[in-house]
Parts: sequence; structure tokens; C-alpha cells
Amino acid sequence: MRIKANVAATVLPVLFIVGIFLSSAVGYWKTESSKNSTKFTTGIFEGEADPADIRGSYSFSDLEKAFDIPVATLAKAFGFSSSENPEGIKLKEFEERYGIIGDFEIGTSSMKLFTALYKGLPYEPEDDTGIPQPAWNILNKEGATEKETLETYSERVVSLEGLEVSTKTAEHTEKSEETIIKGKTLFSDLLNWGLSKEQIDDALGMSMEAPGDSVRDFCSENGIGFSTVKTPLQKLLDNM
Amino acid sequence: MKKKVKIRTWIQLAMFIFVAIIAVNHTLVESGKGIPFLSRASLHAVCPFGGVVSLYNIITDGTFVKKIHESSMVLMYIVFVSSLFLGPLFCGWICPMGTFQEWTGIIGKKIFKQKYNRFIPYSIDKYLRWLRYGILVWILYMTAVTGKLIFQDFDPYYTLFQFWTGEVAISGFIALGLVIILSLFVERPFCKYACPYGAVLGIFNLFRIIPLRRNSDTCIDCKLCDRVCPMNITVSKAGKVRNHQCISCFECTSDDGVCPVPGTMEFRTNSYKASPLGSEKVTK
Repeated sequence: MRIKANVAATVLPVLFIVGIFLSSAVGYWKTESSKNSTKFTTGIFEGEADPADIRGSYSFSDLEKAFDIPVATLAKAFGFSSSENPEGIKLKEFEERYGIIGDFEIGTSSMKLFTALYKGLPYEPEDDTGIPQPAWNILNKEGATEKETLETYSERVVSLEGLEVSTKTAEHTEKSEETIIKGKTLFSDLLNWGLSKEQIDDALGMSMEAPGDSVRDFCSENGIGFSTVKTPLQKLLDNM
Repeated sequence: MKKKVKIRTWIQLAMFIFVAIIAVNHTLVESGKGIPFLSRASLHAVCPFGGVVSLYNIITDGTFVKKIHESSMVLMYIVFVSSLFLGPLFCGWICPMGTFQEWTGIIGKKIFKQKYNRFIPYSIDKYLRWLRYGILVWILYMTAVTGKLIFQDFDPYYTLFQFWTGEVAISGFIALGLVIILSLFVERPFCKYACPYGAVLGIFNLFRIIPLRRNSDTCIDCKLCDRVCPMNITVSKAGKVRNHQCISCFECTSDDGVCPVPGTMEFRTNSYKASPLGSEKVTK
């Protein structure tokens, strides 16, 4: 058999088209994260989805599929109304909507903790991970975690009553909105606001990479809790 | 004769534009302005090398390296299948980085003419050609250990198609700058000396089902094949080209390239039958 250039020219494009078509047909072709948390591979929870692998890019709908918790329950737990189209709400929006309340933060880690307690799965929260009051009420009512164990998390409960407006309003009046660390904040923003690379590295516990990276994505990729980085950095900014 | 070769240029151009559109659209998607009907895929998602670097993680714990998805695995398998038959067709026809180097090399050819791609002495060059395997091993090891795309910060391909995003490390810009400068002197320098994916696909040359064959009975020893080869392979001395650097570009072939004698330089499965005239040559 002899192969000419016109045949070579068609081989790969045709294989690409056929391969992508077939893999799409069987549901294997994916160009984005599958939103399926990794599963416990050992112990009594083997085969169960691991709440620790929940990411900010997950929507309530993704969580419903992965952990079998109804979207309505998730929305109610985190203070979203049904008119806000809760199916599409992504966890990373929590940080902009609530952020730090008192000593605790309502963010993606809060959902990890809620999911773990709701399903009775193991999860080690960060020190400043908060639980919204509505979520706490749901956990007490229908969560799989025993009351005694649940009670050990009671000091993390934060009220959302009025906070959505008052907290943000207070923050906005005290400091410029530009210097509030949010989910979209880039390392370059921190540098522009006056922090040094050394201060950022200290907070991260490792060297930051490209200035164009978002702090949250960097933390997510390196297994660092965003809130554990955000809090000390925000304090540094507040003291400037 | 040139017209026949042009089909490769068209395929290269189309793939370069396609990848550029994918890269730009991904940036637009992230800012909420993606072009409708176009894939939201990232550059990583459409790179078959992502599948290669993910193999260890997939085998050991069933997960992909961060930023890599199933699509990279599919593309990796497809390219492997094509390489099993035709060698690194991907390098010669599809890879936008190879295309970019060829385009840059056009300037070098105009400047240096015959001297272009002949600057590095063979005694040094033959060792430098193994450098890409060292880079491949380093990348596979580091990616396996860290679970991250360790090569991203040094990858001129990533830099070329993401330079506007602010996500490219300075080392990436340095790598791309070096490739551009070197391309003015050497054809496809990144492919020859540093490309880890080229290293993987180059291995297929050793056992590909359809190799490049030279009919020594009809060959007139004009050496045009040697001169045109972008990878500096001495094609004119081989009966069957098994060089790990061949990129299946067809530039040296009789039907589609520079070889002036029909049926002398071809990609074919079976060997040439010995001529009844023995070693008698066909004259030009």
C-alpha cells in the first residue's frame, strides 16, 4: 500500500471528527470538569462522593447530582430564594454574596461542611468555616449526622438575617471596594493594592505563581483553603 | 509539484486558525462573552499531550491532572492510532507550534538561503536531538509527582496561544522568544530539541506500519530529499527511514515532494522489488 499526501491530509482530520463524534455519542468527550467529586476509596464510606472535593465551580444542580441533596434544600440552607434560579447558582458566588461574617466565612468550604454533615460523611473544615443559620436548622431537622456530633459545630453558626445588606454596606463604607479580596481577585490586584510578594507568599505558605492567576484558583489548585489565605491577606490590606 | 505540497500548508493554516479561535473563545467565555456555537474548551482540553501526562494519574488514582479532561485522552488515542500507521503525522500536519516555526523559518530561509538549517555541526546536533527525551522524562516525572501541568510555565505553544491572558509565566515568554530566534537559523528547533510530545510520537517512527522507503534502484542520488528535510534526516542513504525525528511531512516524496524520480521516495507498506537491471540508475 502506498500513501500520498492527499490521503495523509485527510487521515487525522477524519480521525478527529470520527473520534470526537463517537466519544461524544458514548458520553466520554468532555472538555470541562465533570463536576463529579472524587470518591472515598477505602473505609466504610468507600464509593461515596467526598465533600472535600467540592469546588467553587459546582452549581447547586451539580451538587444535587453528586450528593443527592435537592437543589431546593441547598438553596434554602444558604439563603437563596426560588426566584433566584438556584439550579445555576455556583458555590463561588457565596464569597461575593456573604464572604466573612464575624469570625467565620461563608464560602465553598461552608457547602463542603454542610454536605458532609447532611450526608453523615467525614470532612475536616477549616477553622473559619461558617454554617449559615438556615443550613444549621436543616441539619438539625433532616441531617444524617448525630445530634451530639452536630453540636460540636454549633459555634460556627452565623445568622444571615440582614447581613446580606448590612455587612456589605458596612464594609463598603469603611474601605474601598477595590481592596476587598473576592473570588475574582488576582495576585496582581494584591500587588497593586500595596502588598509585597513576600507577604502574599507568607499567607500562601508557598510561592505565588503568575500574577495573572486568581488567588482562589491558585488555592484550589494547590489544595489550600481560600479562606485561610484570604483572612490574613485581608487583614494586611485593612491595616494599610 | 509545489501545488501538491500545498495541501499540507492549507491543513496547517486551518489547524492554526482553529486552535487560535478556541484559545480566544475560551478567554471570551471566561469573561461571559463567548462566541455562540463555538466550543468552550480550553487550550489544555484540545491538546493530546495532556492525555500523555495524565496517564500516570489515571492509572494510579483514576484522576486527570488538573486542567486536563477526557477530551485530551480521546485526542491522544487518535494521534497514537494515526502514528502507528504514518508516524508523527500530527507534528508535520497539525501541530500549530510546528506550523508557527515553519512560518518563522521562511524569514530565515530568505536571509540565509542555502545555509539555513545547516548551522549546527552534525557532531553536536546528533546529541542535542536526544534532549527532548530528557525533557519528556522530566515532565512525566514532575507531573506525576505534583499532579499539575508542570510544563505550562515553559511551554512556548501555551505562551503563543495564551499570551494575552496574563496567565503565562515569564519563563514561557522566554521559551517562545528563544524558539522564534532559533527558528531564524534552524528549521523547527523546538520540535528537534525540546518538544516532549514530538519525542513521544517520534518513537512511532521505529515501528510505524507505513514507513518512508527509498528505491535505491531508481534513486539518482541528487540529495534533494536531504536538503528539503526540515529535520535534517539523511534520507538519501536510507532504504527505509526509521529515524525518530521524521515528521511525515511528505516534502521529500516523489508524488508530493521534491524527489524528481517517480516511485523512488514513498510512504508504503511493502519494500521495492529489486530491479532486473540490477543497480542501473534512472537518469534525470
